[in-house]
Amino acid sequence: MKIERVILPVLMSAFFGAAAAADAGKDLYTKTCAVCHAAGIAGAPRYGNVGDWQPRLAGGTARLYASALKGTAKGMPAKGGNLTASDGDVKAAVDFMLASVKAASASPAKPVAAAPAPAAAPVAAAPKAAAPVAAAAAPAASIDAAANTSGASAADINSFNRLLKPIGKRNPPPAEDGIHDPVNDGTVALMAPLAAYGPLPKSLAGNRVNWVKAIDEKKINPRWDRQDANAAPVVIDLNIVREVKGSMPDVVYPHKQHTEWLDCSNCHPAIFVPQKGANAISMAAILLGEKCGVCHGKVAFPVSECRLCHSKKKEFRPAQATAPATK
Amino acid sequence: MIGRPPWQRWFAILLAFAAIVAFDTDDARAEYGDVVINNYSDAAGMRPAIFPHWFHRVRFRCKVCHADLGFKFKAGGNEINMVKIIDGQFCGACHNGELAWSVENCNLCHSAKPGTPTQVHESTIQKLAPAALQKK
Ligand code: HEC
Ligand code: HEC
Ligand code: HEC
Ligand code: HEC
Ligand code: HEC
Ligand code: HEC
Ligand code: HEC
Repeated sequence: MKIERVILPVLMSAFFGAAAAADAGKDLYTKTCAVCHAAGIAGAPRYGNVGDWQPRLAGGTARLYASALKGTAKGMPAKGGNLTASDGDVKAAVDFMLASVKAASASPAKPVAAAPAPAAAPVAAAPKAAAPVAAAAAPAASIDAAANTSGASAADINSFNRLLKPIGKRNPPPAEDGIHDPVNDGTVALMAPLAAYGPLPKSLAGNRVNWVKAIDEKKINPRWDRQDANAAPVVIDLNIVREVKGSMPDVVYPHKQHTEWLDCSNCHPAIFVPQKGANAISMAAILLGEKCGVCHGKVAFPVSECRLCHSKKKEFRPAQATAPATK
Repeated sequence: MIGRPPWQRWFAILLAFAAIVAFDTDDARAEYGDVVINNYSDAAGMRPAIFPHWFHRVRFRCKVCHADLGFKFKAGGNEINMVKIIDGQFCGACHNGELAWSVENCNLCHSAKPGTPTQVHESTIQKLAPAALQKK
């Protein structure tokens, strides 16, 4: 196990070693920093990962230089442990890493390179080790374009979708999904989500599978009992309407779809007191993972699908406080 | 939520909507609902375990695990370890060589990149504060 932890960064540094130009910052990064900063060992902010670096940029570049030179209490060794490196080179290595996040945040090239065909079967033994290298290498290539800032092509910076996830990044196979270790032999044996989803009805978010329909149309029949394949759920058909202030349609909470999947005890009484109107529910709570957000936004369809919950058209109610309870 | 002034809530909501509707970080690629469990694995020199919800919900309703087997709705909140598993609790209630392949297939469960923290992939909260959660 321990050995494999080292292999990934080493592979990466080997790759960079071959590809690196004479650039001092890039050189030092490859020799010293990549061991930790390529894969994020010990919590090191990862090369090319905007999310990792963003919060650190707030204190300014000077602070980052200081951290790199003197080290930090949370695991960054002074000069990355390479005490013979000159201060100038260490700063150049910091610049090199920062350029990667500036390039990555604007570059559409990376996702394409990192996640080619999500439908592809799990990668075979040889390419699987190469996958993370390619992912790390892609931003390196784009840096070269972005480094001489003015020369960076406008097409890269003003790409059509800047933040929206490109289609190629959805439902990737385990080896390319960013959390499975592609070096692990078990990873290759796992099923790719898209292989399972083929026959299932689609939706626009989450797994991009409409799980309610999948059961209704008998495309799947998940067991209600661990052992007994014939046990059937206790489905109750009881809708609870929750009025919403403002323009949003009222929320219809359907017991039917929920009791297909869940036991009453999953919600009552821990999450909801079983009494209409007895629970204070708000979008803020849902977004923070409480109430409906215990499941929606984690496993059941995500919060972005407003209309699935806010499904009841309402008459315009100027004085909504006195509106009669609908049921 | 309790006791927060409303402006703060709205701020949180605005932030979140901006995040959910449009924004995706670079790593939020894994399948929706994949749970990484890493209370003990890293420290024990194993890769962290990954539990794929999508794969299991094709075969079982939530009730089987979350009511019958007593999995709490909290990633990392069940203090699962190997003794419990070989004694038939948690994953071991099924991964026993009868209902599903058994525990000797370590690397099918322990398949995460070393150092990956406990998390639910693509969760609202993760999209809200990806950096903070990934590097806790
Ligand atoms: C042994 C692993 C390791 C090596 C090698 C390493 N780093 Fe780090 N680095 C870390 C860790 C861990 C952190 C996060 C520490 C923290 O949050 O204070 C970090 C954080 C940083 C930061 C951000 C610090 C901050 O205050 O936010 C910079 C800049 C940095 N490293 C630069 C470098 C440079 C340049 C090199 C190569 C010369 C390098 N690192 C080599 C582990 C390493
Ligand atoms: C996914 C969560 C969930 C599950 C599972 C669930 N409920 Fe509910 N239940 C709710 C919510 C939400 C309300 C509405 C509470 C409110 O309006 O404050 C509710 C309300 C109720 C009410 C009150 C109705 C009224 O008109 O006052 C009853 C009774 C009830 N549930 C019974 C059940 C039974 C029986 C089951 C199992 C067969 C069940 N529930 C399963 C979430 C759930
Ligand atoms: C314990 C988990 C859980 C909780 C809590 C929960 N849900 Fe659900 N909900 C599910 C699951 C599972 C489904 C099935 C669909 C899926 O997984 O995407 C579902 C489906 C639905 C559907 C049906 C969508 C359709 O396509 O027919 C609606 C509407 C819904 N939920 C609204 C709510 C609302 C409103 C609340 C809060 C009052 C809530 N849910 C709380 C788990 C939950
Ligand atoms: C899982 C179901 C669910 C989804 C998805 C959902 N909502 Fe809600 N929403 C609710 C519930 C429940 C309430 C509380 C209703 C009440 O006051 O009883 C609510 C309340 C609201 C309110 C009133 C203010 C508040 O915080 O109570 C607004 C505005 C709102 N939602 C907007 C949205 C928008 C915009 C989306 C899509 C991005 C969305 N909702 C998605 C369930 C949902
Ligand atoms: C069915 C899935 C599964 C299989 C198969 C499995 N594990 Fe685990 N294992 C887990 C889970 C879940 C945890 C809890 C992870 C955590 O919190 O870090 C765990 C924890 C551990 C831990 C740390 C906690 C402890 O009990 O010491 C070790 C070590 C471990 N597993 C080793 C193994 C070995 C060796 C094998 C193969 C013989 C194996 N596991 C097979 C799911 C599995
Ligand atoms: C085969 C067992 C199994 C099935 C079926 C299952 N889950 Fe889970 N669920 C788990 C495990 C394991 C965890 C992680 C627990 C841990 O880390 O200790 C989990 C965690 C969760 C969490 C917690 C996420 C958080 O906030 O940290 C939610 C919510 C959840 N499941 C909802 C569901 C819903 C909804 C369904 C049905 C559509 C479902 N689960 C089906 C096993 C299952
Ligand atoms: C309710 C029964 C049940 C529980 C509990 C359960 N599993 Fe499974 N799991 C299954 C079944 C059935 C399969 C399919 C086995 C087969 O292919 O023969 C499976 C398959 C898997 C797979 C392989 C998926 C693939 O791509 O083929 C993984 C990984 C896995 N389980 C991990 C876990 C972990 C980790 C836990 C505990 C946190 C767990 N499971 C708990 C029933 C369960």
